[in-house]
Amino acid sequence: MKELMEHMGIEPGRLQFSWISSAESTKFVDVVKDVTEKVKALGPNKNFVKEAS
Amino acid sequence: MADFEPKIVSFLCNWCSYGAADLAGVGRAQYPANVRVVRIPCTGRMSPKFFLAALREGADAVWVSG
Amino acid sequence: MEAYTEKIREISERLLKDGTVEAVIGYRKGSVENSNEPCIVRSSEKINDLVWDSNCRINLANYLTNRKDKVAIIAKGCDSRNINTQIIENKIKRDQLFIIGVPCSGMTKKEDSSDLQENCKVCHHKNPVVYDELVAAEVEETKVDRYEDVKKIEAMGVEEKWEFFKDLLEPCTRCYACKNACPLCYCPTCFVDESKPQWVGKGMDPIDVRTYHFLRAYHCAGRCTDCGACESACPQGINMRHFTKKLEKECFDQFAWEAGLNSEERPPLDTFKLDDPQTFIK
Repeated sequence: MKELMEHMGIEPGRLQFSWISSAESTKFVDVVKDVTEKVKALGPNKNFVKEAS
Repeated sequence: MADFEPKIVSFLCNWCSYGAADLAGVGRAQYPANVRVVRIPCTGRMSPKFFLAALREGADAVWVSG
Repeated sequence: MEAYTEKIREISERLLKDGTVEAVIGYRKGSVENSNEPCIVRSSEKINDLVWDSNCRINLANYLTNRKDKVAIIAKGCDSRNINTQIIENKIKRDQLFIIGVPCSGMTKKEDSSDLQENCKVCHHKNPVVYDELVAAEVEETKVDRYEDVKKIEAMGVEEKWEFFKDLLEPCTRCYACKNACPLCYCPTCFVDESKPQWVGKGMDPIDVRTYHFLRAYHCAGRCTDCGACESACPQGINMRHFTKKLEKECFDQFAWEAGLNSEERPPLDTFKLDDPQTFIK
């Protein structure tokens, strides 16, 4: 999935996967922070947004 | 750009990450409020359609977690 | 080519006469120059309609889905792999089929009959992988770099890629010829026809067009044999194989998988193995 997305011209960080158990709330918090940081660095999504008609 | 707050649509598995998110809430953990959670019954329910739909509607990123 | 046609007619006639099959799925001359159309021959009087030349671009495996009768089918290398895929996906049973294998030296372009189709130039399976009878001796397989065009796109930057696909899909009119020609697209209701929820808009919006091609390619991941039926069916001459080819390459790189080589093993996205690559996950 990710490969084709990137192939098509969407930035790599726009789709992220992770694996967290239901007991790992700290990992959850870490991953949320991490994901948010990465996307902040990428900036807003311009390419795949459908213009409101 | 400094004050850019991304919208991240997150698809969380009911039994794993959704539980973790719940636990984080119960434990009053602080985390960025940029994630918008969609609960799915299992990560196996995830489909490329969801992800494209989210991006089309203006999400900045999609996060899938099992 | 003449000899192929003769042999195909001879085998078909025998099969129809002795009642082994009820119909033969093959090609006949089309009404447009340089194009053959699929035809189903049910009686030996019509046997002389069947032809074989380098215009048999259509993938006949498309006509097997959910058939109940016993049929013979003419299969090139790619068709035979799609037949295997149909068998794996329980769309037809092997014992319903009599496969007339045709070692194929490639199909030519619609516009230029002296030049091979792009996918045929890089074909690694010219000979049928499954058959009951061959019409001629097997041809020699070529070994070339199959993914040259994919690598070219992979080397592009993010914006460049986006522009490349924008230009590629510009002429698309959403006629769905590609999905109708495709032997993999047999869902009773395609996602493009679903309206509640509506996954993809029905208009010509560039994002909708892109969503359609993206999802269609993804549905074919690990199943596509790069037969080129979609490209040859496109009235606008769009090479949508740029999408499917990328996924084909990924399946080959990550799972060492090529679709339809046998009728037992299920495609990689359909199965779980402990050694599946998981580098994408945190």
